[in-house]
Amino acid sequence: MSFKTLQHSLIWTALVLSIGGLLFNTGALLSVHNDNELINQLASGKDVDVSKVISGKPELRLARALYLKQKHRYDEALSTLSLIMEQGDQAFRAKVRYNLGNLYLEQAMNHVETMKMNEALPLVDLAKQAYRQALALDSQDWDSKYNLEVAMRLLPEMDRINSGNEDDPKKQATQLWTTVPGFPRGLP
Amino acid sequence: MRVGLLILLLLAGCSGSVTEPVSYFAIETPRPFGYVIGDEIAQRIVIETRSGIALQTSSLPARGQINRWLNLTQINVKQQGEQTVINLRYQIFYAPLEVKMLSLPGFTLQFAQGDNTLSKDVPDWSFTVAPLRELAVRKNEQHEYMRPDVRPPFLSGSAAQMGLWGSFLVSVLLGVYLAYLYGYFPQSRRRVFKQALKQLAKLSEGDMAQALTIAHKAFNKLNSRPLFQHQLADFYRSHTEYQRINQLLDWFFDYSYHYFFSGKQAVMPEHLQKIRELLEQCRKIERGAL
Repeated sequence: MSFKTLQHSLIWTALVLSIGGLLFNTGALLSVHNDNELINQLASGKDVDVSKVISGKPELRLARALYLKQKHRYDEALSTLSLIMEQGDQAFRAKVRYNLGNLYLEQAMNHVETMKMNEALPLVDLAKQAYRQALALDSQDWDSKYNLEVAMRLLPEMDRINSGNEDDPKKQATQLWTTVPGFPRGLP
Repeated sequence: MRVGLLILLLLAGCSGSVTEPVSYFAIETPRPFGYVIGDEIAQRIVIETRSGIALQTSSLPARGQINRWLNLTQINVKQQGEQTVINLRYQIFYAPLEVKMLSLPGFTLQFAQGDNTLSKDVPDWSFTVAPLRELAVRKNEQHEYMRPDVRPPFLSGSAAQMGLWGSFLVSVLLGVYLAYLYGYFPQSRRRVFKQALKQLAKLSEGDMAQALTIAHKAFNKLNSRPLFQHQLADFYRSHTEYQRINQLLDWFFDYSYHYFFSGKQAVMPEHLQKIRELLEQCRKIERGAL
């Protein structure tokens, strides 16, 4: 095979590959568009075909978890979020944990409203844990900070043994602490 | 007098920072106020020691939870010659009801020189942390106000878009180049044998004179002037790729000469086929496939 023939074949191969790339990228763009449509649909409170969510990107599951939470289907929302805890980049993982914290906190508040403290306490603890994880991933997330503070006020952490200086950091490392449920009602 | 001065200089040489095991020790901290829950605080400790003195990294605080409200999230130790830089990053999880003073706990750094150890204290560092929420409970329709869920981010199609434009551009460029090679552009010199083959396809063996004329015209057009057999060497110099089919070309010019001038050339069906083959080879060369 001469150099010219080889060059000619290479040009044809390159053309076939670039047309392949063109088709692939068109498909990818179409898929992104369809996924964004699904996200929009879920965000506006309309359910979508679950099979599309299962086979889709983690953002779709996050959107469906939000939809399920809006419909008060908390258990389904929780299992949907738990599937994407370790997926995506750091910012996405922080968002998943923040929404997970909100899921727990909202349920806890519902229990507090009906004075079911025993049900509320573990949920607040889980919410705090989720917000802490979200902040460990993104310390600039103001919503996580705010809601963690809401959860902390709902269930303040206090030292069991108060030796005069309750926030002495050296002593706290080895001391036990406990939590006290309830809203600090504050000023009238 | 001179001896006294010498003793004084010797004493000066023996004292001072040169003999200090730790010649420089500084703790660099950011502003000590205005922190809120979840904030990170960076602490940088710079130590310069005498050579041979090494920091014992086991004396550094362990990464992880230090106490109920404080996490040490990052420890980074950089050793540059006799200088050691320790970067610590803490994260606070304290929710005060009002502005409150807290402290990063101090620790003792240990250095080793042979069997001896020496220590340097990093003192507590105090700062204030403020609440994010008012003391009075703010309520929305159902229960206490909290920040809403984050809306799921839309997927980005920028990578696919860039890939699409890139592959489109490459496809168009390659397509245009191939179209040029295949002589699809009018006035292209790469159309010479394409057109000749098209004309030849309509002819039969009885039209040998016309067939030879078509082939000659094509070679003349390619050569930009009439091409004769004795000029073939020059033709090959300017069109080197046609050297590959020199036998066919020699046969063609021989055949043509005998057909037009000796009058003794018999016309056989395979002769037209051979001319067609010659033009097809030329066509392949023309479009860069040979």
